[in-house]
Amino acid sequence: MNKALKCQLALHFKTLRLLFLCLLVMSGKGFAAEVKGLVQLNYVKASEESSWFDEGTGILAYSEDSANVQQALLTLSDNFANGVSYEVVANYYQLGEQNLGISQAQLSYKPLSNSKLRWRARVGFFYPKLSLENVDTGWLSPFTYTQSAVNSWVGEELRTAGLEVTLYSPGRTRNSPISWEFHGSLFKANDPLGTVISWRGFAMHDRQSLNNDRVPFAAYPSVIQEDRIFHPNYVEPYHELDGNIGFYLGTHIEYYKQSTLRYYFYDNQADPLEVSHERLYAWRTKFHSLALQHKFNGNTRVLGQWLSGSSVMGDRFVYIDFDAWYVMLSHKYKTHRISLRFDKFKVREDDIFPWDPNNSDGHGVTLAWRNDLDKNWQIGVEQHINQNSADIRATLGENIQVDQHQSLAVLQYRW
Amino acid sequence: MLKFIIALTLLSAAFFVQSKQLSINVLTQQNMQVGNVVVYLTPKNPQVSPVANKIEIMDQVNTQFLPHILAIQKDTQVRFPNSDSIKHHVYSFSKAKTFELQLYKELQADPLLFSNIGAVELGCNIHDWMLGYIFVVDTPYFGQTDSHGKVTLEVPEGEYQLDVWHPRIQDKLSALSRQVISPTESDIQVILASPLLPDVNQYEEISGEFSDYE
Repeated sequence: MNKALKCQLALHFKTLRLLFLCLLVMSGKGFAAEVKGLVQLNYVKASEESSWFDEGTGILAYSEDSANVQQALLTLSDNFANGVSYEVVANYYQLGEQNLGISQAQLSYKPLSNSKLRWRARVGFFYPKLSLENVDTGWLSPFTYTQSAVNSWVGEELRTAGLEVTLYSPGRTRNSPISWEFHGSLFKANDPLGTVISWRGFAMHDRQSLNNDRVPFAAYPSVIQEDRIFHPNYVEPYHELDGNIGFYLGTHIEYYKQSTLRYYFYDNQADPLEVSHERLYAWRTKFHSLALQHKFNGNTRVLGQWLSGSSVMGDRFVYIDFDAWYVMLSHKYKTHRISLRFDKFKVREDDIFPWDPNNSDGHGVTLAWRNDLDKNWQIGVEQHINQNSADIRATLGENIQVDQHQSLAVLQYRW
Repeated sequence: MLKFIIALTLLSAAFFVQSKQLSINVLTQQNMQVGNVVVYLTPKNPQVSPVANKIEIMDQVNTQFLPHILAIQKDTQVRFPNSDSIKHHVYSFSKAKTFELQLYKELQADPLLFSNIGAVELGCNIHDWMLGYIFVVDTPYFGQTDSHGKVTLEVPEGEYQLDVWHPRIQDKLSALSRQVISPTESDIQVILASPLLPDVNQYEEISGEFSDYE
């Protein structure tokens, strides 16, 4: 390990130690809140393409072979007798612009009820529950490290600051194998959603954006030049720019705990003509998301998700239709879990500026093996390959089509 | 000392009053054996039978109540441990016992005393699919049928009222109740008139594995 890398890791560990110490003090006696934590350290054998974090055009997170803090998070939560609960997820990321911050913070109210029809609500900064992949602590995936294109995008650009009300009926209270939930939400912010998939395209990673985060991408001339679109080569996805209230509607249907369907319709209702002083636009982004999962038994499951929508900014300066889907098979054998996922994604433009090409697409395969050594420690390896193309690379004199691959070895500790 | 005298008295009584085995079978109209049914025999002339100072367990394992149905004698204490690595919020709205308990992953909650008879339906406010029952009886002679729908109880000679209970039984419970004389009768069949409610115990077979919503 070279000296620079050692120094870098030492600095990261110092920050982490400080964060953990703060939370350990809070979790001491007399403070009933539950504190859970998770740290993943990796060694990555990276693709040759530079990542968007380094203002490159690759669609994988790492630009060079290196040892990294892949994930470090703490969740603080508590439930009170009156049905009120809260949860805050604090993350440290080595990659990206904002290294320390909050990825979720919510206050929930779920009154105790023995009725067949019940309700609950939450306010705060959170994800719509549209993913069946991100079911581990802190919205991580327990299956692969490199997440699907669909949920990599959700993690980096989508979060709602709002109120969600849920009407639900647990099947067991009706002596029925079918449970259902209906979700409706009104929210502010999240106006620039769609920026990153319009210019960079879909990517595959596990870097969730934090509360004030900035997602960088390559300095495409058609984007940054003053006589072109004149937009910075980054997006801050959680801004409120136009004052409009967005909404989403969702439904979950479950057959026992065996088969699950989740459908969501999301519309941020943004005014695409609204632009901020730093020249970030509001993007009117709408999509449908359909996620399905079936567990063949306690150990083997198949899951998938399909996302389809559109996004527009300015007076049709950029207009895209996007489609992405994945299908994954995951099998658990004793302490081992093996997961294999296939991803496909496509962005097609239909806008007024031919000099800003937004078509991109690709497909990828991810195979991961993870082994729980005990209740705290886990080791795992992952191999990912993809083939992707983005017309906008031509504006930087790069090949449009790129093959990428990434190998990861990960050590995880959770408590 | 008092405890010792009571125990000695009970032991002597047990020595002189010979116990007999009573076998009870619970079946549907279609001759299907019904397992996990609580069967209890209440003596017509009850003798003072102090509850053994025992604590029963209703555990939370893999986001399920374990056991699904726990039969206990009135005035028994029940502890609710949490064997999962996530927290639970157990509650009951039942007349026999209304309560709620926050079960943190590494903290032990104090046991609860169940001093009213009847069914106590348990739920978890975090995991809506969790469902369990505690059935409280006022007799020391009770048990639960095995997978063949059969239970054998040891009772002293005498006259009893036989009752059964299971959440899937639709029959009026008083209609299933009957008088039994031991040892005159030793094999008893309880045939249910109405079909059972749907079996949704498949909720127990595959449950949530990961800590976030699933």
